[in-house]
Amino acid sequence: MRTRWYTLALTVVVATPVFGQRPIAVTGVQSLSFGTLLPGVPTVVSRTDAAKSGQFMIQGPHGTQGQLTFTLPSVLTGPGGATLALTFGGSDAGYSQSQNIGSQIGFDPRQAFVVTFSQQGSGSVFLGGTARPAPTQRAGAYTATITLNLATFP
Amino acid sequence: MKPTGLWVALLLGAVRLGAQGVVIAPHAVFIDARTRSGAVLLYNPNTEPVEVAISFFFGYPATDSVVRTVEHPDSTSPSAASWIQAFPRRLTVPPLERQTIRLLASPPPGLADGEYWARLVISAKGGQLPVTGAADTARVKVGLTLEVRTIIGVFYRKGAVHTGVTLSGLRTAVVGDSLAVWARLTQQGNAAYIGSARAVLVDSAGKTVSEIKVPIGVYYAMEPRYALPIGALAPGRYRLRLDLSTGREDLAPELVLSSPPVRDSAEVRVP
Repeated sequence: MRTRWYTLALTVVVATPVFGQRPIAVTGVQSLSFGTLLPGVPTVVSRTDAAKSGQFMIQGPHGTQGQLTFTLPSVLTGPGGATLALTFGGSDAGYSQSQNIGSQIGFDPRQAFVVTFSQQGSGSVFLGGTARPAPTQRAGAYTATITLNLATFP
Repeated sequence: MKPTGLWVALLLGAVRLGAQGVVIAPHAVFIDARTRSGAVLLYNPNTEPVEVAISFFFGYPATDSVVRTVEHPDSTSPSAASWIQAFPRRLTVPPLERQTIRLLASPPPGLADGEYWARLVISAKGGQLPVTGAADTARVKVGLTLEVRTIIGVFYRKGAVHTGVTLSGLRTAVVGDSLAVWARLTQQGNAAYIGSARAVLVDSAGKTVSEIKVPIGVYYAMEPRYALPIGALAPGRYRLRLDLSTGREDLAPELVLSSPPVRDSAEVRVP
């Protein structure tokens, strides 16, 4: 099933003037979610949390390598310019060549991480983190952007 | 989530997960000075439109794990970042549709023969992904938006281009269940050395006990580290052979500059 859909998608892509070269992709699947935050209470989301962890899929030519880097916010911005601290630890990111959240290699999302694309040419990236609302945190909606960069190594 | 579920979500059922991103081909662009143009295809496999922005910078792989970014390359750097343009630079790719980005090079007059490099950045941003688990009554609500950026190499070739690599300082060390291999690679000629490295560990009878093959790109000089899985290797003498060649399975042969293979070897003693 998986192979059929994958093949279908790649067929659509490569039947083009650039036939002969392989595609690459990085896709955001699920945002990192902290749920309800209580002022003064840090909330930790593990990269192995299927419902709350940030999730990405990457795809590249078999046998090639790619460099993953995150651009991570240190704060979320809320009402009236109020900020809410967001931190990431040394093992808050994970990579799974088999795309299984239960089978990850942990890495530091603040550092570059090199992946080698498997025979299937795909993999999944997971991200956890910690939100640290202050005891006097102002109520409201806070937002920020997490960016995952995938650089190829030709 | 099982792998099957993830891929089906990406390719068909992305609505459920709100997936965002585009598939990009090729993963490296080679522009010839005679045509001065190239193309990149974007395909949106999802059911939501994706906003895409295109930009360039100068950078190159500096080690086996870091792409070095040079924000202000000097005049001696073979940077094409300032004179290659993309059309369009901003676009929206509708669901299940594809869009071609045209690249046009306008090099400065009198540009010397050689290869010039840039990195093409394709930034994709969809609508804000749903934040699960945030109750309406929450006093503090958090919404994180995902952005994905794919960075591929762009190579502009003018006139006679040639490449090569030198290999020196080959050394090894047993580290746990792996054999770590280091070597200094230095690019030759006026183009990047794009090829593959093959490391083979053989025993005293010439039998292969471990082997890896990885793609490499040598733009200046670098000292990559490779790790061969060796498990519980029996004590004795072995030989590590490192071969560099310009063969690449992921690139069309006509795009790869050929160069004679380079080899070296080193003795490995396992106590």
